[in-house]
Amino acid sequence: MNPLSFAYKNLSQKLSFYALYLFSVSLVITIFFSFTSFSMNHVMLEKISENGRVESMCNTISVFLMIFVVFYMSYSNRFFLKQRTKELGIYALLGCRKSAILQLLAFENLFICGFALVIGLVLGAAAHKGIVFGISALLGLSIDTAKIPFFQPSAVRRTVCFVFLVIFILVLSNGRFLLKISLMGLIRFEKKAEKNLTPRRLPALLGLIIILSGYGLALDIVRGTKSVWFSIGFYVVGMLTMMLIVIGTVFFISAFLPYVVGKRRKNVKAFYTGTRIITTPNFIYRIRTNARTLIMLTLLSAAALTISSIMALSLYYPVAAVSRMAPSELECRIENDQQTEEIKLTVGKYADMKDISFLRTDVYKITSPADGLPMEYHVNTAKGDSENEKLLRTPGFECISYTDYLALLNAQGKHRIAGQLTGLQEAECILVKYQPNQDGSDEKGDIYPVVIGENTLSLIVKETTLNNPVSFANSVGTLIVSDAVYSMLQKEYTPETSILSINGHAIKDNEPLYAELKELLHDSPYLQGSSHRIHEIFSLSSSTFLLIGFLVILFFTAVGSILYFNNISTAADSKADYEMLWKMGYSGKALRKIIRKQVFPFFMIPFAFGLLDCLFATLVYKTGLMQNLLGSNPAQFLPTLLAILLTAFFYLLYYLLTIHTCYTLIPHVRAVYCDDRHHDRKART
Amino acid sequence: MTVLLKAKEVTKTYENAKRPSLNKVSFSVENGEFISIMGASGSGKTTLLNVLSTIDTPTGGEIRINGTDLKNLSATAAADFRKNNLGFIFQEYFLLDSLTIRENISVPLALLKVPPAKIEKNVRDFAKRFGIASQLDKYPCELSGGQRQRASAIRAIIKHPSILFADEPTGALDSSSATELLTTLLNANQELHTTILMVTHDAYAASFANRILIFRDGCILKELSKGGSDRHEFYEAIAAEIAKSDTTRTGGSLK
Ligand SMILES: Nc1ncnc2c1ncn2[C@@H]1O[C@H](COP(=O)(O)OP(=O)(O)OP(=O)(O)O)[C@@H](O)[C@H]1O
Ligand SMILES: [Mg+2]
Repeated sequence: MNPLSFAYKNLSQKLSFYALYLFSVSLVITIFFSFTSFSMNHVMLEKISENGRVESMCNTISVFLMIFVVFYMSYSNRFFLKQRTKELGIYALLGCRKSAILQLLAFENLFICGFALVIGLVLGAAAHKGIVFGISALLGLSIDTAKIPFFQPSAVRRTVCFVFLVIFILVLSNGRFLLKISLMGLIRFEKKAEKNLTPRRLPALLGLIIILSGYGLALDIVRGTKSVWFSIGFYVVGMLTMMLIVIGTVFFISAFLPYVVGKRRKNVKAFYTGTRIITTPNFIYRIRTNARTLIMLTLLSAAALTISSIMALSLYYPVAAVSRMAPSELECRIENDQQTEEIKLTVGKYADMKDISFLRTDVYKITSPADGLPMEYHVNTAKGDSENEKLLRTPGFECISYTDYLALLNAQGKHRIAGQLTGLQEAECILVKYQPNQDGSDEKGDIYPVVIGENTLSLIVKETTLNNPVSFANSVGTLIVSDAVYSMLQKEYTPETSILSINGHAIKDNEPLYAELKELLHDSPYLQGSSHRIHEIFSLSSSTFLLIGFLVILFFTAVGSILYFNNISTAADSKADYEMLWKMGYSGKALRKIIRKQVFPFFMIPFAFGLLDCLFATLVYKTGLMQNLLGSNPAQFLPTLLAILLTAFFYLLYYLLTIHTCYTLIPHVRAVYCDDRHHDRKART
Repeated sequence: MTVLLKAKEVTKTYENAKRPSLNKVSFSVENGEFISIMGASGSGKTTLLNVLSTIDTPTGGEIRINGTDLKNLSATAAADFRKNNLGFIFQEYFLLDSLTIRENISVPLALLKVPPAKIEKNVRDFAKRFGIASQLDKYPCELSGGQRQRASAIRAIIKHPSILFADEPTGALDSSSATELLTTLLNANQELHTTILMVTHDAYAASFANRILIFRDGCILKELSKGGSDRHEFYEAIAAEIAKSDTTRTGGSLK
């Protein structure tokens, strides 16, 4: 029989076994092909990439991707090879030469990967279409989808070449495996018994100490300016923390966990139950034999979760901060009444004037001779993005009236905040903060002597707020004063600036209007628009978001699939053990519990570490590298929460899939599984 | 003596099989007996053991152990029944690799929710009695086949099962390990009064029992009792019987 027909026969006989292999290879090829198609889609890239930024990111990611595909495919290849060593051993016993076995394996790989390639190309092309559609919908791009072919020829060529290269590598590695192993080795490969080492205390404690000190160091950042992150330097401490956590994770998993569980094994009272007497030693055994895989998966999962959390945060944060950077739908400075009329005319072209509110706010500047004034008083540039910060400013408080403040808040739709205000006594004021003070202090109750004309007045800060009614481009150090004080100012001075705030649903998301106003105002840096800003943020970061999203999905798929394969192969290897336990009187239910308890930690460890690392990294990133415009508003952590929930959901899904496969893999668990249900149904009817 | 197990016209026909693997087998086992089941390969010995031990269900007939009719057991109840009443020794030992011998032996007791202190004491006593005290903290892979089988026998005996089922327990052992194991079983039978049902191909192993059922084509062909004879005489009687049944078989096929 020639190897080709042999391989073919082999394939068709054990379809369910190969289906798994096929599925996993198709999955990576799908990801690879959709990404390659995307990175070679010039129609798309032209729209979203300015000066090659996205292209260079694509290149970096494609390197990752290739490494990943090679790694993943060789892992699953090795996995399936190990599952079959016995079968190959029988071929060898029957007189097949090693070269013939290798040929058989090569043909099989060619069959499966070839088939997976076809599946991957179709699914990948569909995924690519979906991505293109999603992005253009998100960014409002006008893309002629007809110009993008379903199969991008260059991407197909690259994917096919790459897959064949990988197959070649697989065949080589299989050859090496076969060459090194003896006939006996092939037959008894699965039965290789490893000695159970007793876990040692020193590395265990070391692991705990290192990882705790890593997290402790991360936590230190909340001390603000006093923390080592500031006194030594952010990047040095950052690297140190990361190293501590990585090394700590390694020791924690390989030494501390087995040690702790080993202690439980000696705890007579807890240990001697029908379930634990099986699962506890098994856990130690598995964690010792699989420590390397588990550590790798844990780090991978921590990296993926951390990246996705930080990415989500850094995209979401500016969007959330728009309510402070550009509180009104449109806002600009006006020099004279004629300009106001021109602006109104322009807006009127786009929307019904009835639905739109125009509010003019006059800002009066006053100074204070006192020391200990808030940081906002002294700021010497306008705030906002880098553009604004070129605009110089002289120190002082910029006053607006309480009535104007209320009107603006209401126009901006912040009715709840407006409703909570209780009015101001004559000498009271509200201080608008740029961001909360780093040391946690608050100016509430402070008294600022200010000069108005010839009088000196003492203004007392009733409260501070983060709800600035006008953008920081137009006013910093804003002080909301009572209407009485405001009218004193009106009598004494001319307004420093006049700001026009335009609000209303009708002009939301109106880019053409913004463009026309921009032209009318000669590119004035004082023109701010909330929708426009959000739009800008999206088009700037969406490609980054997308590409990193690719990486994260990739990481998670890798973690999930490897956990899946690892667990079901362990279950398959211990089929006989489960059968024996069943004969000894373990019910199907008890066996399912044992399976769950064996599988659960292998999903929980990567997830728990991922979660911890992600939380600490997000904390450090948020405290150390981001502005604090939103104060302690919990809404800003929504994306982190979302990333965590998605990850949890993903792990849960893989966990359920894994235990389900384990159940079906083990005869008595499966039999009783069906039997019990059958019994229940019978009992009910 | 009281009847422990009663099999009445037990029949088992596997799906798609032309002939029944067990054909109306009836016999009973009394408390404290040590029974060997012999017969050619394919004569239905393993099938009988499986059916008697609730691992498989018969297609006909009735089996009662300790008065319980096995037919009425649901899957869960059968598991409980095995847990409370039955012990097993397998040809391939089936000790759990990741557990020490001590833990392996403790599994049935832990499953029965015996208090931990009592488990530890029992394990210690049994290990001493059957001579594996020094191996308690080793892992199965550190023991020889004979030692492993002894451990697995102790695992079955320690919970004082009503009946101990053993399917060719000496099949993978050399003769001296086999003798040690058989002595262990004999001890359990004589001192702990464990009822034993053992399948074997080997007349020497069978001679440790006090009654022998010889199977052919799913039926009991012959029954031998040790009666007053000593083990050696019994062995010769068994060997002679086996030889006789062998000739009838070859005689049959020649016809
Ligand atoms: N699961 C099964 N499905 C179908 N037929 C079976 C099954 N198990 C056993 N048989 C058939 O039932 C008959 C008795 O088998 P059994 O395993 O009981 O023999 P045995 O006496 O234990 O043989 P051995 O000494 O070789 O172990 C045989 O003819 C066998 O082919
Ligand atoms: Mg048999």
